[in-house]
Amino acid sequence: MGTPSGLIATAAFQALAVSELQALGVSGLPLLVVDHPLGGEKPEGVLRRAHQAAEQLAGLIFPAR
Amino acid sequence: MKLSSELLELPDSPEAVLAAFCDRQWCDGLPIVPPTPERVEATLGAVDADPGELLGLMPPLWREATLEKLAINAVMAGCLPEHFPVVVAAVEAMLDPAFNLYGVQATTHPVAPLLIVNGSYAKAIGMHAGAGCFGPGFRANATIGRAIRLILLNVGGAWPGRHDMATQGSPAKFSYAIAENEAGNPWQPLHVELGYDREASVVTVFGGEGPHNVNDHVSTHASGILHTVADTAATLGSNVKWYLAQSQLLVVLGPEHAATIAADGFSKADVKAFLFEQARLPLRTLRLGGMWGIQDWPPWMLGITDPEARLPIVRAPEEIFVIVAGGAGKHSAVVPNSTFSRAVSRPITRIR
Repeated sequence: MGTPSGLIATAAFQALAVSELQALGVSGLPLLVVDHPLGGEKPEGVLRRAHQAAEQLAGLIFPAR
Repeated sequence: MKLSSELLELPDSPEAVLAAFCDRQWCDGLPIVPPTPERVEATLGAVDADPGELLGLMPPLWREATLEKLAINAVMAGCLPEHFPVVVAAVEAMLDPAFNLYGVQATTHPVAPLLIVNGSYAKAIGMHAGAGCFGPGFRANATIGRAIRLILLNVGGAWPGRHDMATQGSPAKFSYAIAENEAGNPWQPLHVELGYDREASVVTVFGGEGPHNVNDHVSTHASGILHTVADTAATLGSNVKWYLAQSQLLVVLGPEHAATIAADGFSKADVKAFLFEQARLPLRTLRLGGMWGIQDWPPWMLGITDPEARLPIVRAPEEIFVIVAGGAGKHSAVVPNSTFSRAVSRPITRIR
């Protein structure tokens, strides 16, 4: 089964992340994209990104039928 | 010699060649020397090796760094064939995992590999270590440094804003190569300090920011000059210190500063010890901004609560590199590293 793996990136780094996945031969890995930036955000901004990631993660774990 | 790269036919004009390479994002925006098969073969001839020899996979796109691909970019940069052994050794050094080239290439931090070349080969090919060594004006420095950048762009694939995520980039990303001024160094040159024979020729790659100026026209003793160096090195905005285990500092002393320091009886180890003790920031300053709150410090530093405690910016004195370069004048430079990349050296051995 292996270890479930994915990649979390902010939108500004999405192109780099996709390129890396392709270059490393793992383009099928799930990619979770949250708003940019992460640094310098107030707690409510961090919370919003956490919700974005959680929603996407839930969609990966429990895909809609 | 059999080359494997695809041939591109272009009109025989400098303007057309530049336009074609810029359109394809194959250059740094400056004119290039067309990498014709004859020129590439002449460059490869300087190292007497198979064009297909693979040095490794170069990040961020993990493409094959073959000697042929390196030679194409060296020609484009304007290198002479005799410059190529330095380029090859530098790429070998950059591909050492300790250098963490992926991090240096892809980070938002404006850093570039600085090449420091020591030994007789630097002099033989005209690498400049004197006045204005960081540029412009010296073909070997300029073209070897530029070849490295073109390789990082074209082989590694670090195109700005796409795979090189540097927020603002850096002039150092055009070309960043010097020789050490060994004649002006009152101590051991860098390569001897690192364990190589004095007769060896060695390239050291240091993933660093552009040089930060150290102006001290008044100090007549080591203490004053080194306090000025320390103050330049320890700033809130620098990345160095926040990831302490990986932080390194390069100090490029001008020969006049080096002579004054040595005349006070300071060894190179003394210089490093002084800077380790004095290039510090008080906890109250560190709390103001920078990367406060997300720093990666050892437990003993995280346990400090006295706001006046002065905390180090590198783990130990040996994380400070001291070289001598430049000409007349009372200036030196500090080059902070990218804080996740270690300096790596390789001997320049592929010399015909």
